[in-house]
Amino acid sequence: MTRARLNKILMSLVIGAAFLWLLIPFTMAVLWSLVDPSEPWTADQLLPPAMSFYRWTDMWQNSSLKPALVTSYALAPTAAVLTLCLALPTAYALGRYEFPGRELAKTLCLLPLVVPAFITAIFFSSILFQLGLAGNRFAAIVFAHAVLFLPYAIRILTVSFEQVRQDHIDAARDLGATPLARFRVAFVPALKPGISATLLIVFIQSIEEFAIAFIIGSPDVVTIPTLLYSALGQDFVRPNAAVLSLILVVPNVFLMLILERLMKSANPALSSGKG
Amino acid sequence: MTLRRAATILLLLMPGLGLILALIGAVVYIAVAQSFGLYSLMGESAFSLAFWSDTMGKKAFDKAVRYSIYVGVLSAIFSVILAYPLAIWLRKPFAGSVTIGAVLKAPLLVHGLVAAFLYINIISYNGLLNQVMQGLGIWDGPKRLQNDRNAIGVLILQTWKNMPFALLLLTGAVQAISDDVLDAARDLGAGSWARFRKVIAPLTVSGLQAAMVIIFIGALADFSFQTIAGPTNRQSLAQLMVNFKGRGDWHSAAVVGVSMMAIALIGSALLAVAARMIMRGRLK
Amino acid sequence: MGAIRISGVTKSFGEFQALSSISLEVAQGEFVTLLGPSGCGKTTLLKIISGFIEPTDGQIEIGGENVTRLPPEQRDTALCFQSYALFPHLTVRENLEFGLRQKKLGRDEIASRVRDVSTKLELAAQMDKLPNQLSGGQQQRVSLGRALVMRPSVILFDEPLSNLDAKLRDQVRIEIRRIQKDYDLTAIYVTHDQAEALAMSDRVVVLNQGRAEQIDTPERLYAAPATSFVADFIGSANVMEGTVLSADGAGLCTVETPIGVLEAKDAGVPPGAIRRLSWRPEKAQIGEPGLTATVTHRAFQGHFTDLTVDTGGTLYRVQTGRDDIREGDGITFALRPADIVFLEAVG
Repeated sequence: MTRARLNKILMSLVIGAAFLWLLIPFTMAVLWSLVDPSEPWTADQLLPPAMSFYRWTDMWQNSSLKPALVTSYALAPTAAVLTLCLALPTAYALGRYEFPGRELAKTLCLLPLVVPAFITAIFFSSILFQLGLAGNRFAAIVFAHAVLFLPYAIRILTVSFEQVRQDHIDAARDLGATPLARFRVAFVPALKPGISATLLIVFIQSIEEFAIAFIIGSPDVVTIPTLLYSALGQDFVRPNAAVLSLILVVPNVFLMLILERLMKSANPALSSGKG
Repeated sequence: MTLRRAATILLLLMPGLGLILALIGAVVYIAVAQSFGLYSLMGESAFSLAFWSDTMGKKAFDKAVRYSIYVGVLSAIFSVILAYPLAIWLRKPFAGSVTIGAVLKAPLLVHGLVAAFLYINIISYNGLLNQVMQGLGIWDGPKRLQNDRNAIGVLILQTWKNMPFALLLLTGAVQAISDDVLDAARDLGAGSWARFRKVIAPLTVSGLQAAMVIIFIGALADFSFQTIAGPTNRQSLAQLMVNFKGRGDWHSAAVVGVSMMAIALIGSALLAVAARMIMRGRLK
Repeated sequence: MGAIRISGVTKSFGEFQALSSISLEVAQGEFVTLLGPSGCGKTTLLKIISGFIEPTDGQIEIGGENVTRLPPEQRDTALCFQSYALFPHLTVRENLEFGLRQKKLGRDEIASRVRDVSTKLELAAQMDKLPNQLSGGQQQRVSLGRALVMRPSVILFDEPLSNLDAKLRDQVRIEIRRIQKDYDLTAIYVTHDQAEALAMSDRVVVLNQGRAEQIDTPERLYAAPATSFVADFIGSANVMEGTVLSADGAGLCTVETPIGVLEAKDAGVPPGAIRRLSWRPEKAQIGEPGLTATVTHRAFQGHFTDLTVDTGGTLYRVQTGRDDIREGDGITFALRPADIVFLEAVG
């Protein structure tokens, strides 16, 4: 049939394009990160003439990679837990109560996603200066990340709370369960995937966030994205940038794949984009 | 609703929604106030229109506004134009469609800065593209492709990063149309193009609007693609704002920031209306 | 000349044989129903006629023209969907106009056809509403109207009544038939409801596992089912096996059955042949001497009573107008030769 043939042609086209836009760039990045400084990789050679892990060990020992890793991986879980704590009460209200203005409240929760990140970053830093708090850079970034990523958390958890079934709660009451037992039997199972998804999504977003970390953190607090940014700018050394790119992207791809799974169980509508 | 219940709900909304409104409200308020000379961090605070007239008189500002709108609008259009046919193609599952969907959406997982690095790696003076073109004998010598004047690099990066997002929203919208409705259109004599124009397009217009508005705002406010891969002879609004702030000129930065928000708001509304008018071409 | 001629249409999906060599001719103005349980292939056949599925083998002709390879948008058929499939973003008027605009008809022609159909279907007051503002019955009528304005050579119905409640269903059933006659439309109607099929159709095609078991008028299907499937599916007949003993040459023969030796009309079956036989529950002559049975279950249905009776260890269903028979009672009944129908051979 013609449709089947058309599909085959389209499929090979897409796979060819994917090859161009994913495989080649990443292979190049891996190769660049392995270039040994003894012999530079010049344009006339298909593969680097000498390959080693020199760049990786060198970056590890002699750059701000280590502190940046520590900062990023301390920042992300802190922000994730804080976001979760802040989001739970609001999500409970939006998911379990009917009240006038509920849809408006849900929409307002999306505000941080609409205001450009650099505007939030610059004028939040302005506020910090006004209040004389500009010195607490780490805490300021944690706070800003927590608020900025609240929309994701509230959205996911609201759906989780909506999925708690009233008949489960009623059945537990009918069988004489205490409030704590009721919570454990009716709420916990419905909320679990939502909580994991929230923690993970805020973690990923926080690791990747650039504007806030760049504006508020510089020059003292360095995260992986800000380090990569400077490696791409004033101190551009291609192999170093390749190492940083891979460090930023590889763990996150795995985390995202786990997240996709979690989202499917927490909120089928969201993961398919129909939210 | 009892008073007690209302109080409970308000209290519950406080830490989440309350904090969002407080922070974003404060940010917008400070930006507007500083653009009028208030809350000065350096000198005297006094209400003044001078910063607006000064900044708007600058050639760099004018260029930045045009440039950012150019990048924002084109990124949004390119992304949805590429995503639409793919979304329709992937509407019904077929052998391999899941893999294709995953490959197409992969850029969502790649950080923007990494994407920029990968891109300049390919197009740099001694990069792969120059090598290939010379190897094929199409180009005589290597060309300088990085930081091109027309911001094609930025547009490619924006589209690369945003097309999957548009695809996600449009796939959802297209899949929500029932087979029967499309079959009915076919049965009544509508060919592929008529089915797209008269059924699919009007029924997916809200997904399209959402995709265009979000991509437009993101690309309008772009900083990192611009500084890494954009033209060196002009600045994006975000870049201009960061530069003003870096020089300690908070008030001019605020003018740029407020302008950016205004352009985002008006531009989104215009784009949404335009998308609706084009796609909703009702039977007339 | 037939308005539609279906010859040897076969469809297989991989290993699965959805339709095996269906042939059918439908005359102009005829109302033919495709009847069968779910999965019998009736919807597949409808989709082949409308063009959404291409048959593996066989041919479809509409008005003498071979349309087998024609896509649905180029076929002169109009389909009424089970889900109605109204365009949710268009008003009732725009839904009705949709197909006419595709045909590029003139403005006046479109207006007059839409006016005509909307009056006939009593939709005039609803013309500017969107589908989601209409009741189920109104949506059903818009779906019907959207097909009618096309004045198609063939109108196709895919279980159009299944989403309506019982009372509305009877009313729309009559309405569909009236309109079909008014416009002298050739109609093919798909349903799994045998009562609907018997009440509406000129002829019925009984489909089972992709095969046409019988194509006949409702009366003949009921009185003379060709196979035990048809006998059971339409009005749930009692089916049993019997061996023909002898024919008397005067139109009667004797058959040995599990409930005893019975007299039946001679259908030309040679002595010694084993055939399935069927008889209708309401044909049992209760109180007549002949067969004895014990009532094991009784269900009062108003104008008759349904009885399950045990005859020699096998259960049969009989119906009677009498309401004085109780569970556990012993009864006698007889079967008249004309009421026993020979079905397919056994084995």
